[in-house]
Amino acid sequence: MAKVLMKGNEAIAEAALRAGAEGYFCYPITPQTEVAEYLSKRMPEVGGMFLQGESELAVANMLFGAASTGKRVFTTSSSPGISLMQEAISYMAGAELPAVIINIMRGGPGLGGILPAQADYFQAVKGGGHGDYRTLVLAPSTVQEAVDLTMLCFHLAQKYRNPVMMIGDGMIGQMMEAVEFPESYEEPPLPSTDEWAATGALDRKARIIKSLFLDPVGLENNVLILEKKYQQMIREEVRCESYKISAENKILIVAYGTMARICQTAIDELEADGVSVGLFRPISLYPFPEKEILREATRKNIKSVLTIEMSMAQMMEDVERAIQGRRPVHFFGRSGGIVPTPEEVKEQVLKVLSIKRRTAKKK
Amino acid sequence: MISLVKQHRLPTFSKSILIIVGGYGSGKSEVAVNLSRQLVNAGSAQVAIADLDIVNPYFRSREASEQLTSLGIRTINPTGGQHYADLPIILPEVKGAIEQRQGVLVLDVGGDDVGARVLSSLSGSFEEGAYEMLLVLNGNRPFTADLDGCLKMINDIESSSRLKFTGIVSNTHLLEETTAQIALDGLELARQVSRRSDLPVAFLSGLKEIIECDEFDNVDVPILPLERLLLKPWESSAGDE
Amino acid sequence: MAVDSKTVFDRPVTLRDVVTHYCPGCTHGVIHRMVSEVLDELGLRERTCGVAPVGCSVLCYNYFDTDFMEAPHGRAPALATGFKRMRPDMIVFTYQGDGDLASIGMGEIIHAANRGEKFTTIFVNNAVYGMTGGQMAPTTLPGQITTTCPMGRDTSLTGEPIRIAELLSALATPGYIERVAVHTPAHILKAKKAIRKAFTLQRDNKCYTLVEVLSTCPTNWGNTPGEAIEWLDENMMKYFPLGCYKDYVEPEGS
Ligand SMILES: Cc1ncc(C[n+]2csc(CCOP(=O)(O)OP(=O)(O)O)c2C)c(N)n1
Ligand code: SF4
Ligand SMILES: [Mg+2]
Repeated sequence: MAKVLMKGNEAIAEAALRAGAEGYFCYPITPQTEVAEYLSKRMPEVGGMFLQGESELAVANMLFGAASTGKRVFTTSSSPGISLMQEAISYMAGAELPAVIINIMRGGPGLGGILPAQADYFQAVKGGGHGDYRTLVLAPSTVQEAVDLTMLCFHLAQKYRNPVMMIGDGMIGQMMEAVEFPESYEEPPLPSTDEWAATGALDRKARIIKSLFLDPVGLENNVLILEKKYQQMIREEVRCESYKISAENKILIVAYGTMARICQTAIDELEADGVSVGLFRPISLYPFPEKEILREATRKNIKSVLTIEMSMAQMMEDVERAIQGRRPVHFFGRSGGIVPTPEEVKEQVLKVLSIKRRTAKKK
Repeated sequence: MISLVKQHRLPTFSKSILIIVGGYGSGKSEVAVNLSRQLVNAGSAQVAIADLDIVNPYFRSREASEQLTSLGIRTINPTGGQHYADLPIILPEVKGAIEQRQGVLVLDVGGDDVGARVLSSLSGSFEEGAYEMLLVLNGNRPFTADLDGCLKMINDIESSSRLKFTGIVSNTHLLEETTAQIALDGLELARQVSRRSDLPVAFLSGLKEIIECDEFDNVDVPILPLERLLLKPWESSAGDE
Repeated sequence: MAVDSKTVFDRPVTLRDVVTHYCPGCTHGVIHRMVSEVLDELGLRERTCGVAPVGCSVLCYNYFDTDFMEAPHGRAPALATGFKRMRPDMIVFTYQGDGDLASIGMGEIIHAANRGEKFTTIFVNNAVYGMTGGQMAPTTLPGQITTTCPMGRDTSLTGEPIRIAELLSALATPGYIERVAVHTPAHILKAKKAIRKAFTLQRDNKCYTLVEVLSTCPTNWGNTPGEAIEWLDENMMKYFPLGCYKDYVEPEGS
C-alpha cells in the first residue's frame, strides 16, 4: 500500500482495524478524540462495533465485558479518562482478559491542560489500579511506530491474556506523518480463545470470568499465575532502540516517545559541534529494558546518564534502578504540556558535561 | 528568495476575504500562514489572519502568530490560557473584521465539514461575491484520495458552512517525503475535481524546495511556494538549511 | 430442554446442586431458582452469560450453571453492554442488588437502559446493603433503621428512597419494566411470569428488560424470616407498588 498522510490518532484507529479489532468503546477527550471520530465512520464499514459510552468508567467496564467474549476489543482515552479506567484495568488483569488501552497523554495532574505530556508514566508502568498486577506498556515515537505498536498491542494482549497499554504523548496523536500499513497482517500463532472465553456452556462446563478469590491461597495462586506471565514478558517483550551510541559517547541520554525525537535533533546538532552523545530509547516501558540500559550506560567512556522526560523524573526512577549506581543519573524535564526544545536539551548535555569536568578537576 | 522569473506566478486576489478550508491535514494552516506572508510581501497594506480552527488542539495557525506579528500581520487569536484551549472560542473581533473589510482578511478554518461548521454561524456577515473560499486539497489524505472523496468533501463543507467554494488549492504532499511527482499527481487530481465541480484551480502550493524546481516550469496555474512555519518540536526552523 | 415447570421441587438444570451461602429466610435463593427455571424452560442455558454484582449475590456465579462474569461494584450493566454488543446472539443478564444498581451503579444502569441494550436485569431490592452489614441504601425506607442511619432514615438529610422501576420507566427507550415480589407463593408465580417475559423479549431481540424484585434481608433487618416477610409486606409494598411500569409494544409498521 502507498504511503498516506495521517494524524497519529487516525493512524492508530486504522491500525487497530488492520489488527482485527472488532469492538471499540470510547468517551470523548482531547487530544485523542479523532480516534473515536474516525472509527465512528470506519467501524460500521468493516462490520465492527462502535459504541460511545456514558463515561470512561463505563467504557472500561464495557471493554471488560466485550473482552470476555474473546474478541479483539479496545479503547482510547487521555489522562483523566485513563484514571477513571483503572478500576476495570485491574479487574481485567485479575480475570486474565486481553484488552488494548491507548492513552494519548496530556498534562496533569487533575484536569491539567490539553498539551502533550508524559506524566502518566507511573500510572501506566507501575499499575494505576489496585492489586498485584502489571500492564504491558509500549510507547511509540513516530506515527508509523504508533501504527506498528498498536497492531502489536492486540497480539500481545491475546498472547498474555492481559491488558496492554500504549502510551503516546499528545503530539503522537495530533501530528501528521506519512504512514504505510502492511499489505496483510500476519502474526505468530496464538492460543485459541476457545479455551477461556465466555461463549455459552454448550458441550462444556460453564465458565466463570472473575478476579474474586476469597480464599487467600486461591488469590495468591492467581497472583502467582499472573506473576509468571510478567516474568515471561520480561524475558520476551523488552523492546528498545539506540541512536548514535558509540565508543565516543561521553553521555548517554535516555528518553522515549516524542521526547526521544527532540533528543535526536539535539544529538545531531551536538555532533556537528564535536560533542558525541548517544540516545537510548525504551519502546517497552513495562517490561523496562533494564539490562540493555545498563549495558549501554556502562560503556567505558560514558561518564553520566541524562534522563529527559516531559514529566518530573518518573522514568528516571527506572533508569536509576537499571543502572544500579554505576553511573550518575541526571534529570531534565518539562511538564504541564511544555515540550523541551532541542536547544534546551543541548544546554543540559553541556551542563552535565561541565559538572563532570569540574568534579574531575577537583579530584 | 524566489527568483524574479518565478515571481509573476504567485497567486493574486481581488477579493478582500480569503477563507481557507479543507480536509483534516490538507495543510490549510500552512497555506493560510504562507499566503498571509505572501500578501504582505506583495504589498498589501493591511493583512489580518484569524484562527478559526476549533477542532484541532495543536498545530493551529495561532502557533505562528509571533512570526506573523513581526511581519506586520494582525493576528486574531484567543490569548492567554485560551490560546491553548480546546474550547470553541470565536472572538467577536472576527465578525468585526469580516464586516469592516479593511485590507485583506485570511480565515484559517478547521478541517472537514466539522471544522467548517464554524463558518455557518458567521455566514450572515459575508457579503455575496466579497470573498474567496478556497478548498485546500491533499490527495495523500485518506478521505480525499480520489475524485469522489474530493467531491464529497466539497459538498459536506458547503452544506455545513453555508458558503460556496470559489476555487481549489492543490496542496498534495507527504510532508518531508514529498516529491515533485507527488505534487504533480495532486495537481492532476485537482484538475479533475475542477472539471467536475466547475471550480477553478486557484493555485498550486507546495514546499519551496520542491515547487521551485524545473518540473514546475510549465505549470499553468499560479504557484505559492511554502516555507514551513508550523514545525514539530524536533524540527529546527528553516534557518539551519 | 423439556423441563416441566409444574414439577416445582425438581432442581432446574441451570441451578447447580450446591448449598448457597445465603442466610435463612433470604429470598436471593428463590430469585436464583426462578431465573434458572426460566432459562431451563426457554432452553437458553447453553447460550447465556450472566453478570454477577458486588453484593450478597457476588458468588451467584457458583450457583448458576451458565457462563458468568463477575463485575466491579455497580458496573454489571457496562460489562453486559460490552458483551452483548460483541455477541448479540447470546443471552445476557445482570443480577444486581440495590446498592450495586441504585447507588454506585446508577450511571451505568440508566445509560444501558436508555440505549436499549438487549439484556435483562434482575434487580434485587432489599432496602439495605446486605453484604457489608446492613448500611443505608438508596432504597432504604423513611425511618428504617440501618447501621448508618441508626435513628432511622431521615429523608430531610438523605432524600426519599429511589424507586428504580418508576425512574427507569420515565425513559423512552427501555421496553419492559416490572416490579414483583417473592414473599408468598402467589407473588412468586407472578414474579416468574415477569422474569419469563423479560427473557423471552430478550430472546426475540426486542428491548431492554428489567424486573425489580422486592426481597428480604432478615439478617440485616434484624428479623426472623417470618417477621421479614411481614415487614416487606407491610412496609416495602407500600413504598414500592408492584406492577408493570413499562410494557413492550411492537413498534408501528413491524
Ligand atoms: C468500589 C467498591 N466500593 C464498596 C464496596 C463494598 N461493598 C460490597 S457490597 C456493597 C453493597 C451491596 O449492597 P446491595 O447492592 O444492596 O446488595 P445486597 O448485598 O443487599 O444484595 C458494598 C458497598 C466494593 N466492593 N467496591
Ligand atoms: S445479608 Fe441479607 S441479603 Fe445478604 S444473604 Fe443475608 S439475608 Fe440475604
Ligand atoms: Mg441490597
